[in-house]
Amino acid sequence: MAVSVDEAVSTGSARDHTPPARRLGGRGRSVLEVALLTVLAVVMLFPVLWMIETSIKENRDVYAIPAKFFDFTITLDHYKDVFVAPDGGRSALSVSFLNSVVVAGVSTVLATVLGVPAAWAYSRFAVKAKKDQLFFILSTRFMPPVVVVIPIFLMYRQVGLIDNKLGLILIYAAFNVPFTIWMMKGFVDEVPAEYEDAAMLDGYTRLQAFRRFTLPLLVPGIAATAVFALIFSWNEFVFATFLTSSDSVRTAPPAIAGLIGGTTTDWGLVAASSVVFALPVLVFAYLVRKHLIAGVTLGAVRR
Amino acid sequence: MSDPAPLTIDNPGQVASTAPPAPGRSRRLSDRGLAVAFISPAMLLLLAMSVFPLLWSLYLSFTDYSATRGGPANFIGFGNYTAILTSAQVHTRALTTLIYVIGAVGLQTVLGFGIAYLISRRTHGRGVLTTLFLVPMMLSPVVVGLFWRFMLDAQFGVVNSMLGSVGLGQVEWLTRQRTALISLIVVDTWQWTPFIMLIALAGLSAVPKYLYEAASIDRASEWFRFRTITLPLVWPLLLIAVMFRAIEAFRLFDLVYILTNGGPGVSTETLSFHIYKVAFLGFNTGTASAYGILMVLVVIVLTQFYLRYLNKLKEG
Amino acid sequence: MRYQRRIGRTSVPGRKVRLATAAMLLVATTVAACGDGQDDDAKASAPKAPATIPELTKDPLTLSFIWFDWPPAQALEAFANAEYKKERPNATIKVNTVPNANWHDAMFTQFAARKTDFDIAILDSQHIGEAVTNGNILDITDFVKNNIDVKAYNPYLLAAYGQFPQAETGKRDENASLYGLPLLGDTWTMIYRKDLIGDKPPQTWDQMISAAEKCQADNPGVSGLAFHQANGSDAAAVTYNTVNGIYGGNLWDAKTRKIEGVLNDAAGQEAMDVLVNKMKPLTAKGSGNWFIDEVNAAVAQGKACIAFNWIAASGGLLDPKQSTLGSTREQILDKLGFATLPSQKTNLVPLGGMGMHVSAYSPTANQAEALNFMKWFERADVQKKWAAAGGVPSRTDALESPEFLNAGPFNQVYTDSVPRMRDMWNVPEYARLVDIENTNVNAALNGAKKPKDALDDIAKEQQGVLDSSNRKGGGGL
Repeated sequence: MAVSVDEAVSTGSARDHTPPARRLGGRGRSVLEVALLTVLAVVMLFPVLWMIETSIKENRDVYAIPAKFFDFTITLDHYKDVFVAPDGGRSALSVSFLNSVVVAGVSTVLATVLGVPAAWAYSRFAVKAKKDQLFFILSTRFMPPVVVVIPIFLMYRQVGLIDNKLGLILIYAAFNVPFTIWMMKGFVDEVPAEYEDAAMLDGYTRLQAFRRFTLPLLVPGIAATAVFALIFSWNEFVFATFLTSSDSVRTAPPAIAGLIGGTTTDWGLVAASSVVFALPVLVFAYLVRKHLIAGVTLGAVRR
Repeated sequence: MSDPAPLTIDNPGQVASTAPPAPGRSRRLSDRGLAVAFISPAMLLLLAMSVFPLLWSLYLSFTDYSATRGGPANFIGFGNYTAILTSAQVHTRALTTLIYVIGAVGLQTVLGFGIAYLISRRTHGRGVLTTLFLVPMMLSPVVVGLFWRFMLDAQFGVVNSMLGSVGLGQVEWLTRQRTALISLIVVDTWQWTPFIMLIALAGLSAVPKYLYEAASIDRASEWFRFRTITLPLVWPLLLIAVMFRAIEAFRLFDLVYILTNGGPGVSTETLSFHIYKVAFLGFNTGTASAYGILMVLVVIVLTQFYLRYLNKLKEG
Repeated sequence: MRYQRRIGRTSVPGRKVRLATAAMLLVATTVAACGDGQDDDAKASAPKAPATIPELTKDPLTLSFIWFDWPPAQALEAFANAEYKKERPNATIKVNTVPNANWHDAMFTQFAARKTDFDIAILDSQHIGEAVTNGNILDITDFVKNNIDVKAYNPYLLAAYGQFPQAETGKRDENASLYGLPLLGDTWTMIYRKDLIGDKPPQTWDQMISAAEKCQADNPGVSGLAFHQANGSDAAAVTYNTVNGIYGGNLWDAKTRKIEGVLNDAAGQEAMDVLVNKMKPLTAKGSGNWFIDEVNAAVAQGKACIAFNWIAASGGLLDPKQSTLGSTREQILDKLGFATLPSQKTNLVPLGGMGMHVSAYSPTANQAEALNFMKWFERADVQKKWAAAGGVPSRTDALESPEFLNAGPFNQVYTDSVPRMRDMWNVPEYARLVDIENTNVNAALNGAKKPKDALDDIAKEQQGVLDSSNRKGGGGL
């Protein structure tokens, strides 16, 4: 059962045992498969390409019928509009991007600081009712956000956390801690407990053993986990919409959604801000591609 | 859920060897203490941000409380629950959600597995292909929703434009009852097919080669090999992916909010979307809480199944 | 081993203490929560604003508004910062904006939180009931008596943006309380293509429909009509209400709180029939989710013969950068005409626009500043300047002033429409009522429901909402 995604993704482990050429007229079928894959890839990627294309079109080309695929004038005005307000100052969108950076960053740090030690403890010690605890932890992650937002709203209004970055940070951390624990427990399980045992034989306390010997080995795993937590907080929409209302607190997802539904919709701007918004996520996702499976299944599947 | 309690230490023999209390040992944390100290902060956050709000919700679900009207929260027993379970409005949304979950997850599974199968047969360019296919999954639902709304626009959307250029008529993607739900399924499928693909690919790569070699000696047909070797070995992992997606799809809110706003009429309103309306349009907090608790129950049951299955898989 | 057990035992109290602390925290918060619930009982209605403006602060102060994101919001911020600063140099005006779809939720979730990041809420006229009943905005009846010249206004305008309980259409009840003052007046204008249907706008609804029909037939690729059909905000509901009014229907009987049998009477049925069976076929395919911006886009792209939109949202139509109708404002105006709505059985038009309402949760100094701002804003000279800056004033003298009438081609339409206005219900249940109507009209327009069934469902469900106050459980479904 120990196959890493890396292996699944890499070219090295290709299954050369069944050369397709051997049966059914071989080459023709292979060509067909490649063609099919190409078509599927084009279909999957077309919306992304169209988004990028729209972001560099002038508005009259954006609405052109029939749609213009190649012959349009390229402009970077929409990208300028993402960051610069018409009066030359900072645009509301760029403020929201900054808010997103703060909220996603701090909540990720918080979730990591709380989640990694807990994951280590769950992995190393025989905690009573461990399975139940872990189940409980995971099920909090599966709660429908729309349901959670109601009592959170009531709670926040008692303590003044509505329309406050700290409020978003806390709720994102609460959604990311279960993920961090599940994901990190897998990574800790992979580090042999014997390392710590040996260190303790040398006179280190268990805490020291954890800090000096296990933790350094966990760094890549922590980085991957943190990136996934970051992506979740970065993309989150429901809490952001219902718990924020002012420009100075609002994060990017509701700000981008707010670009439609005025008196005119500037689709070029929507596309440009979407590209700017998606870019960091894609870069980060690429960095942690080895851990993607574990990352997208809350650490449940790691092979 | 329970408190962190009696611990046994992984390796008793080794404990014995470190046992002699050194002078500085009072400063040392015991393993137990360490476990408690490491687990409790995370647990406290979850208690404060998940459990406590849910208990509050549970309490409110038995009342007629409204967050804006203020006033006392009158205890009304199971009134909210019976009203929700017998409401035709809720049944409609439950049916919509069910169709959506089955349609979207079904389509994703078939497509995702298909793509994974095709990729697994390639010798070259697998890394690049997989990475490219994964892009949609990483995008925010806001971006996905907005952009598909733009592409599916009946008048100037690129989808109808392409249909037009091959001689097909305009389709009202977002404003007809059937097509709106189909559009929702298509967009979700576009975003999450890569998820199933990724997991299926991991499963496919893990099928031991010797099984295929044995089969090819027996001159078994390709379909036979697929049915008797590939599918049974990949299926358990695929099921994990399917269950995971089903739980996520069941909670769907943001895509509906942006793509169709529940329309036309209420025909694409999911359960989550309906709760939002009850909670934030009329501020019927009591009803919305009960509605939410019922959804949470479903999620817990689904999660329970999911984990049972996951454990079985790990042990087996 | 024995040693280890000892450790286990000694740490038990520690664990219990921790648990107890956690439990106490939970209990404390719960008690706090319930305690708040009881506080709520005390204040059942809106707190009163002082009759005269208290002394204003000399410290720098930011007066915040909340509105949805559209050009008038930016216009207001620019105008107020330029002009109000002359009177009050230490005050800065900030207009927070939220997406239109979130407007109601954003204001009322903050009201529910008993803490607002705005001092003046720009409420839709229909939101007043909900805000007053919940005690979210100040009662400014006495303030208005002492500071505002009420005779300078068409009484209905004053009532529509401030009075609760609601006034009869076209009137004001002088004994009723006031909770707001007009900020921006608005109504629908008919936008028609002079080059396609002629200079003279259709006078009756029937003529309008046949003109659109003919125009659509004569001009392939251009649809006859464009209007709001979306199921969000109040889009489809306003459309139906407008046709309902024009065909002599009523939304409800306010005295007996009856909707069932009133909304869906013969006139109401006829209006729904006209909307779905005569008007909808003349719209573009896939226009069933159109609201303000899509209608504007259709007009600007030259794809509609006749369109209906809010006046305050129509300014962008004259911008050559967004239009394919001409490369200058004059060229565009050669093609686009703006007119008051055609009449049929009545000449009613929808009341749009919003008032200014002071948040009950804003600090005293800000509330005083807010009252001062409102008094300033309703001055005759300021109203004219607001008109010149692109706003729609409410004082009769400003409405008839050249500053206003020359500021935009649709401003005459507004002034002519003022005596013809009708609003929706402004009861506390407004948000639910409008959602029921929106979704059902939208369903009828998009073939998801038969028109008659949709109208009957609206009447039945809305009546259910009005009557549900004494129901046990399940409110809001």
